[in-house]
Amino acid sequence: MFRHNIILAFRNFKRNKTSFLINLIGLSTGLTCAILIYLWVSDEINVDKFHDNNDRLYQVLQNRQFPQKIATWEITPTLLVNAIKEDLPEVEAATNISSREENPRGAFSFGEKNIIAEGIYAGENFFEVFTFPIKESENQSFLKDKNSIAISESFAQKLFSTTKNVIGKTIEWTRGQNKKSFRIAAIFETPPSNSTLQFDFVWNMQLLIDADEYAGKWNGDYAKTFLVLKPDANFEKFNNRFASFMNTKTDKRKKSQLFIQQFSDKYLNGKYENGKITGGRISYVWLFSIIAIFILLIACINFMNLSTAQASTKMKEIGVKKTIGADRQSLVQQFLGESILMSFLSLSVALLLVLAFLPTFNDITNKVLKFNWSFNFVITLFLITLFTGLVSGSYSAFYLSKFKPFQVLNGKQVMSFGDQWIRKGLVVFQFGLSIIFIVGVLVVQQQMEFIQTKNLGYQRDNVLNFKRPNTNKSETFLIEVKNITGVMNAGRMWGNLLSGRGTQSGYSWRGQEDDKKYSFKSPIIGYDVIETMDMKVLVGRTPSREHQEDFNKILINESARKMMQLENPVGMNIGYSDTLREIIGVVNDFNYGSMHHKIEPLIFRVTTRGNNILVKIKAGEEQTAISKLEEVFQKFHPSFPFEYSFVDDDYQALYEAESRVATLSKYFSGLAIVISCLGLFGLAMFTSERRKKEIGIRKVLGSSVFEIVKMLTSDFTKTVFAAILISLPISFFIAKKWLENFAYNITLTWWLFFVPAILVLIIAWLTIGLQTIKAARVNPVQSLKDE
Amino acid sequence: MIIRTKNLNKVYRTDEVQTTALNDLSIEINQGEFVSIMGPSGCGKSTLMNILGMIDSPSSGEYFFMENEVGGLSERKRSDVRKNNLGFVFQSFNLIDELTVFENVELPMMYTKVPSAERKKRTEALLEEMNMMHRRNHFPQQLSGGQQQRVAVARAIVNNPKLILADEPTGNLDSANGDDVMKILADLNSKGTTIVMVTHSQYCAEFGNRIIRLLDGQVVTENVVRQFL
Repeated sequence: MFRHNIILAFRNFKRNKTSFLINLIGLSTGLTCAILIYLWVSDEINVDKFHDNNDRLYQVLQNRQFPQKIATWEITPTLLVNAIKEDLPEVEAATNISSREENPRGAFSFGEKNIIAEGIYAGENFFEVFTFPIKESENQSFLKDKNSIAISESFAQKLFSTTKNVIGKTIEWTRGQNKKSFRIAAIFETPPSNSTLQFDFVWNMQLLIDADEYAGKWNGDYAKTFLVLKPDANFEKFNNRFASFMNTKTDKRKKSQLFIQQFSDKYLNGKYENGKITGGRISYVWLFSIIAIFILLIACINFMNLSTAQASTKMKEIGVKKTIGADRQSLVQQFLGESILMSFLSLSVALLLVLAFLPTFNDITNKVLKFNWSFNFVITLFLITLFTGLVSGSYSAFYLSKFKPFQVLNGKQVMSFGDQWIRKGLVVFQFGLSIIFIVGVLVVQQQMEFIQTKNLGYQRDNVLNFKRPNTNKSETFLIEVKNITGVMNAGRMWGNLLSGRGTQSGYSWRGQEDDKKYSFKSPIIGYDVIETMDMKVLVGRTPSREHQEDFNKILINESARKMMQLENPVGMNIGYSDTLREIIGVVNDFNYGSMHHKIEPLIFRVTTRGNNILVKIKAGEEQTAISKLEEVFQKFHPSFPFEYSFVDDDYQALYEAESRVATLSKYFSGLAIVISCLGLFGLAMFTSERRKKEIGIRKVLGSSVFEIVKMLTSDFTKTVFAAILISLPISFFIAKKWLENFAYNITLTWWLFFVPAILVLIIAWLTIGLQTIKAARVNPVQSLKDE
Repeated sequence: MIIRTKNLNKVYRTDEVQTTALNDLSIEINQGEFVSIMGPSGCGKSTLMNILGMIDSPSSGEYFFMENEVGGLSERKRSDVRKNNLGFVFQSFNLIDELTVFENVELPMMYTKVPSAERKKRTEALLEEMNMMHRRNHFPQQLSGGQQQRVAVARAIVNNPKLILADEPTGNLDSANGDDVMKILADLNSKGTTIVMVTHSQYCAEFGNRIIRLLDGQVVTENVVRQFL
């Protein structure tokens, strides 16, 4: 029977070539999307899961209470790790690494060769807690020695052009005025791309503590702390007990509460609001999984609709089979078999398409996704395809097999009211989804455009950004930069305006203890940064060379002025620690960091140094100015590469996730519409075929081609209208939700919904138009003769 | 007795109209009979055939097939009775277009789970008997009407049914092909198969032993046919 069903399916495909092709294109496109998204999702959900201790590996996070909010930080004191090891019996092991700001960077040299690398300071048992396999090492305790360094294979490859025989070699490290020699004690496998911890080398944590006195104190947050719970430990109980752990160690952290989160969970659920985990990248995992399912469903609906539209040609077969003894189950099996076969044929096409489009998809998603023919992958492919086949075949299998044989054989079977509604409902569903997709694309693009054109409070066009490996001859360097033709201004700072990093509290402007609880964003800038970035100074002045003591002074932004309720802040001294700091100016509010966050009160601290250089270049003179800049850079730092970026590009990079969503949703919605239209095309074709006799009679009775076309299209038009009515409120709701991710967003105007609706209607008309005109123009005698 | 019906009624209802197709119809057919059913269009012939063939159920009344009540059976059970005991021959042949001659004839045996080798043997023997062996790999559209009906008859008898229901088997055939089909049916009957046939043709009806005439869903006359053959 199985063979019989397969043969019959193939003959059906051969006989109904158009619907076979529509289904093949639709299902294989749908499966291609589903497979690509599956590869992406499985990569996302496996980030950081490769560690042997994954199930029990947690990161310590702290909630800090401020008057405005509870902030969640992943940085903790370096002292915490030993306290955990000593006092908490549920913990099997614990380690820490430096926070990102503290990570060691710099140039390493061996002989004539120099490379720039970024590493981490880590606790001695770092490689026991995390699984970054050691390829070779001097001994077990290689991280205990402060003069030792563990390097990655890629580091070794870059510096020595080999990974062999490097243990024991001494390399020189330089950063700024600092120089130090390290003996290579271990070489580890380069962290894989699905690791959020990326580092070229590892140093003993003690080096950080030795270098910065606060790093070894309870009131300094310098490290990320990780722990492995014992297998029998209870997570909930531990977390409850752990909350006030730091308070038992010091009275300086009364506002801090600790909690642990599974390390591998943090990548997808790394967003915190008011001290609680509120999601993160997981929302994109869900979004794309849903998109994949919907695109597959749209393709499945084509199959359902086309097979029910062809029901009349199947009727006889069903009738005869039932008459000679086929039961419903065997017919259901036959039809499901046919759709499953179709689905597996589509899978083979889809696999070729995936192979062809994987490089492009990798570019868009910035991943290195590969076909990995693992058992899990094959099983998942099999299940996705089987599911697609079952869903596609389900409706026709149960719908067609229920017909009574005598009705079918006598041609008395008419489509019931309910059946017609189901079919229309399916088309409504398809087009509704397409409209939601188009609205989505428009809203995402509008928001991206808004982000790109919004006045941030500073000018980011033609501003070049680069880092000096040290701050030697800071002033001379800047003077030489400013002398370059085409350079309009230049300034230096620590960090940059886009990171949004750095928060300070402890300022007191009313002389009240309560003030100190308030947090401020606190970037550190040098001279000319405000001018270079073209920020508006509302009152007062900017830091200047004429005022030698300016590096002890501060500027505030308008939000800070409002929060502090200062009428005339300029000249006012506010307290910080044991010192007083004079406010020399108020700058207009600007976006410090990305637009995901509202503008917060900010205090500019002033420095005479800063390794991050901002250079404003005259439009049109970028090429020559950059090559001159490189010359200056090489003069000061001969052995370092000149690596620069434009602030505008860095700004775009802040919205990388969104712009990826924008690009992907554009492709996926395009595909959704194409697949839907393919289905509509098929439906229109079968409807014209089914109504051939009616068209003939109407024409004989005097109907014009236009009237026939109108009659045939009006049904579809009503269906698409229903789709519009249903999908617009849904898309409004989804768009509104997504825009809530941004502190500053576009207003949802009517045309964002009107355009997709009209677009879908026009596409639908074009799709069915050709078919209906063809049907309406047939000479009536032909259709009547066929009867 | 192979067929016995008692007060069979079949009423079709649409939104506004109610049509009585069978009206208290009682008939009896013995094993080995060849009964022809005649009557004008709309008299209930096809409805009666559908109910006798268990592809439709009566609105009320009883239908005993081989002394078992089958009118009220579930679709699954009816399908079981059908595939093991009945063979159908239709006016429009009703061969499955996507299957070859061989596959069409073989199909009923698949539902009765006949082993593959046995299916092949029986199908080939029947096609040989019907003189259709040379066309075994052809599709129905490639055959003449007469050939199609011979394949349909082969399909109807391949499971050795106890009863063959033939609904105007010669209706779409010319007289020569019609004669051939009638001879095959008469031959099958002479070998013991019960045949119930609906026909408009007095000539064909007289191939049987008894003619039942229907009008408005009721039996009006029953004649024994003189055996002139």
